[in-house]
Amino acid sequence: MNATAIESIWSPRVRSVLRMIAGLLVLQYGTAKLLGWPVVKMFENLPWLSLYGVAGMFELVGGALLVLGLFTRPVAFVLSGEMAAAYFIEHLPRGFFPVLNHGDLAVALCFVFLYLACAGGGPWSLDAMMRKKG
Amino acid sequence: MEEFCAKWHDKFLSVLRIMTGLLFLEHGTAKYLGFPHLEKVPNPVSMSGVSGMLELVGGALLVLGLFTRPVAFLLSGNMAVAYFYAHAPRAFFPMLNAGEAAILFCFVFLYIFFAGPGPWSVDAMMRRK
Repeated sequence: MNATAIESIWSPRVRSVLRMIAGLLVLQYGTAKLLGWPVVKMFENLPWLSLYGVAGMFELVGGALLVLGLFTRPVAFVLSGEMAAAYFIEHLPRGFFPVLNHGDLAVALCFVFLYLACAGGGPWSLDAMMRKKG
Repeated sequence: MEEFCAKWHDKFLSVLRIMTGLLFLEHGTAKYLGFPHLEKVPNPVSMSGVSGMLELVGGALLVLGLFTRPVAFLLSGNMAVAYFYAHAPRAFFPMLNAGEAAILFCFVFLYIFFAGPGPWSVDAMMRRK
C-alpha cells in the first residue's frame, strides 16, 4: 500500500470511523442524561426541559444519527454549535485553560464536528449508501 | 454549500489538527513547564510524566504541522495506551472513567495519520518549495 492509496482510499474510511466514535461518545451523554444509562450521579432525576436536558436531547438524537451516518453534515454542524455552547456555558467560567476547566473534550468535539460538517461522513454511512442507490 | 465544502474541507482539517495539537501541547506544558499551573504535577519518570513529554513535543509538532504523519501515529498509540492503562480499569463506560478525551484524541490522530496535515502546515509549505 503506497502513500497515495492511504490518502485516497483509507482516509475517507477512517473519517467514517472517527464519525462513529465521536457519535458514540456524544450518544453516551444523551443516554446518561435522559435515559439514566450509564448511571451518572450528576444526571440523576434530570428534568428534560432544563439546560442539561435539552443538551441531552441534542446528544441523544444527534449522536445516534452520527453513529449511523444519517444526515451527517447538518447534524454535525448543529452538534458543533452545541459543543461550543457547552464549552462557553459550562467550562469557561471555571478557568481559562481547558486543562483546568475540563473542557478539552468539548473543544475537541466541537472542531471534529465542524470538520465532519464540511468533509461529510465518509463512505461507511447511511448517507453514502443512499447516494449509491440514487 | 457543496462548493464551499469542496474548497474548504482540507483547510478545516488543518484547523482540527492545530486545535487538537494545542489541547495536547497544553497538557505537556502543564506537566513540564508548570503552565498552566496544576495542583498535582505527575512525577516525570512515571507513566503520566513520560506521556507528558510526548504531549509537549508531539503537540508542538502537530500545531506546526511538521512531520505530521509519524507524529500523529505515535500520539494515537500513546492515547490508546493512556486509555487502557489509566482509564479503562476505573470503569467500563468512558463517561464514568473520564477517558472520553483520550478516545477522541486517539481517533482524531489516527485520522490525521491517514489524511495528512492539510494545507496550513509546515509539511505542506515544504512540499510546495
